[in-house]
Amino acid sequence: MRKLRFILIAALLLLDSCSGRRAKDLSGVNGIEDLKGHSVAVSMGSSYDLMLSDIGGIDVIRIGLGELLVAVEKGRAEFCIIDQYQAAMLNMESRGLEIRFRNILKGTAGAGFRKEDSLLCNQFNGYLNGIRGSGEYDRWLDEWKSASDSMAYASFQVPVHDKQPGVRALHVGITINYPYLFLKDNRLTGIEVDLFNRFCERMGYAVDYEIYDFSALIPALNSGKIDVILSHMRMTEERARQVLFSDAYIEGGGAAVCRSADGKAVGVRAGFLERMKESFRNNLVEERRWKLMVDGLWVTIRISILSILSAVMIGIAMCRLRMSRMRVVNLPAKILIDILRGIPLLVVLMLMFYVIFASSRITGTLVTVMSFGVYYGAYFSEVFRSGMMGVDRGQWEAGYALGLRKIQTFYKVVLPQALSRIIPVLKGEVIALIKMTSVVGYVAVVDLTKASDIIRSRTLDAFFPLILVSAVYLLLSWLAGCGLGLMEHRINPKSRKT
Amino acid sequence: MIKVRHLKKVFLTPSGQELTVLRDINCDIHRGEVISVIGPSGTGKSTFLRCLNRLEEPTSGMIEVDGMDILSLKTDISMVRRRMGMVFQNFNLFEHLTILDNVTMCPMILLGKSREEAESHGMALLESVGLHDKAGCLPEELSGGQKQRAAIARCLAMEPDIILFDEPTSALDPTMVSEVLAVIRHLASQGMTMCIVSHEMQFVRDVSTRVLFLYDGVVYEDGTPEQIFDNPQKPVTQAFINRIRTFDVTLADSRFDLYGLMGNIRTFCNKYGVGLRTMEKVEHVTEEMLCQIIPFDAPVRFTVDYSEKTSRIHMVFVLENSRGSILSAVPDDSLSLMMVRGMSDSLSEPEPGRICVVI
Repeated sequence: MRKLRFILIAALLLLDSCSGRRAKDLSGVNGIEDLKGHSVAVSMGSSYDLMLSDIGGIDVIRIGLGELLVAVEKGRAEFCIIDQYQAAMLNMESRGLEIRFRNILKGTAGAGFRKEDSLLCNQFNGYLNGIRGSGEYDRWLDEWKSASDSMAYASFQVPVHDKQPGVRALHVGITINYPYLFLKDNRLTGIEVDLFNRFCERMGYAVDYEIYDFSALIPALNSGKIDVILSHMRMTEERARQVLFSDAYIEGGGAAVCRSADGKAVGVRAGFLERMKESFRNNLVEERRWKLMVDGLWVTIRISILSILSAVMIGIAMCRLRMSRMRVVNLPAKILIDILRGIPLLVVLMLMFYVIFASSRITGTLVTVMSFGVYYGAYFSEVFRSGMMGVDRGQWEAGYALGLRKIQTFYKVVLPQALSRIIPVLKGEVIALIKMTSVVGYVAVVDLTKASDIIRSRTLDAFFPLILVSAVYLLLSWLAGCGLGLMEHRINPKSRKT
Repeated sequence: MIKVRHLKKVFLTPSGQELTVLRDINCDIHRGEVISVIGPSGTGKSTFLRCLNRLEEPTSGMIEVDGMDILSLKTDISMVRRRMGMVFQNFNLFEHLTILDNVTMCPMILLGKSREEAESHGMALLESVGLHDKAGCLPEELSGGQKQRAAIARCLAMEPDIILFDEPTSALDPTMVSEVLAVIRHLASQGMTMCIVSHEMQFVRDVSTRVLFLYDGVVYEDGTPEQIFDNPQKPVTQAFINRIRTFDVTLADSRFDLYGLMGNIRTFCNKYGVGLRTMEKVEHVTEEMLCQIIPFDAPVRFTVDYSEKTSRIHMVFVLENSRGSILSAVPDDSLSLMMVRGMSDSLSEPEPGRICVVI
């Protein structure tokens, strides 16, 4: 009897939880205070995140910018908070979503400078005051706010100064976030970029934009990688301790988005193919976003190839040291290899970028190639070593006894045999390396993954870009595997014979 | 052609101990000679051979090849090795190359031969060792004997002045030994200078012009095959040539462990393939001698020697501090004595207290 009652209660609870998401009435939620007791998705590390957490009683779900709308669509969160300008530009209806209320969590944003760089900050403030006084600022902002996409793009084409001797180039760290900063036709545009370009033109600076994760901006500024943070960063007290903020140049606010009352997408709830077509158009064709993907793909390929080459070279060097008979040589090599293999690659990459090469203006690509070279060099060296040790000592002796010198024996006898052992193992490592390049977004390199992140933060469509990117990585890995397979085939004496 | 003086080789074991394998080797190898190096295992025969082309670095001493000191730093050892072929126990064919490529690679690299030249010569050599139809095969497709013949052909392709054979048949199945030995015999008949380390005694005897017996890190005895095999002068050589196996035990008093002893004798006989009948005779003689004939008033040393070559067993019983002849103290018609006489070929007491039995 008790058992039966227990099962009944369990079944009821299950039913309740299933229907709960659908049945929950959100119509009563009309202000920030009403969000208490609901789940709200926000972009991790954003000021919305901090502000919502401070209110308390709200189930805050912290995810990436690109996944916010999807989380609401799929019912993982009841609400999400996105920028109200951005919300206004997106077609919510077609996704079964609606903007419940806006103008919440307001705040002002300013440009960030290094504490000791007050000269530049003052110049920027002076420029802001100037255009505010002349009314240029208001005209400019109105124009942006009312602008359609195409107009906004067409109206502001500020020439960027070429790098010339005597012209200071400002390195500006940005995060892609519509409508302040976004890529259109593979060119950077947006309110903030426009403002800053005007400033640079007036003051005679050259400018160089670098795309970072939002959370990496402040470390990059303080380590000297960039001179300016331009990412509608809200001027919170905590940030102000590390960053010298300019006067506010823009005011922002959020909008709360939830599923529309009937919970169904309006209009194009067509077949799978139709939706794919729509996604394809939205994520790739519009604003020529495919160009960003193609650029990202080239970056990924270039980084992969350079990393593999440097890893092979470093691996050979490490392998030689490791196989040395002298303890003073092989012991440090062994320790280094063990250390490198024991640290996550991402940490190595960040250490190289933000600590070891912090003060030098070294590009993320170069740091990536060096980090991957060293890191995978450690892995490769062990593969090489096991390949070399797999060749019987008698093969060396036979070569020597016939009168071959050491180097001749190595190249003619031992290496071909070692390679046929090394390549099959190396294949796996190379594929792992290619896939691992997807983390380089952390050091301001726009590779394939980062490109898809940027597109997702613009279209807020998670599915299509991710699937596309996975397909491309799969293809790259497959091609690399085929290439090495071909080498394997050519080296293997059995297949070569026939 | 090769002159070796005071050659010494000390290995350092992993535990840091020094192991002297070659103490003081002196010998000369002349052109046209076929030198065989024999000796018990572990006496450094292979080490000696590998020192000759410096695959092992000698600790001290002098090796001259054609009047050139090959241990000096000025000598280019690679150039010396081109003139000295070596055939390994494990063949060491280049696994990634076909048999023909194995044979042609070094002449092309080192002697500057064209591919056509090297291949026609290589094919001729393969034909001479009976492998011309295997030219396109990989080493792994060959049998052990074929591999070793290919290795010999590879060696010959460099047209060496001397070939060093390091136990060329030790890694082979018994069925494949003869094909390899036949090739070496053929080379010997053509006057090739060779130095062979081998355990094939009959072959060594047939093919050598001179035999070196290595023992305890020195050339213990050397001579013609006839001298070494038919009339060895020194005791270790004799024991080795006759392949004598020894079982040796000292019994303290008459309360010794008879069953344990019998078990040990049985194990010894089984190990060296003593026939069942012979083994039973040994057991009976042992029991009669130790329990009936020998008066156990002092410790007895008991030795069984078995010659694998002659299949003879020599048993020696030595009673320490014997007060007189043992056998004469036993009545001639004693049953024990009669039994021992009946089972053995001879029974004697060359000196008082020392009884020899031959079965």
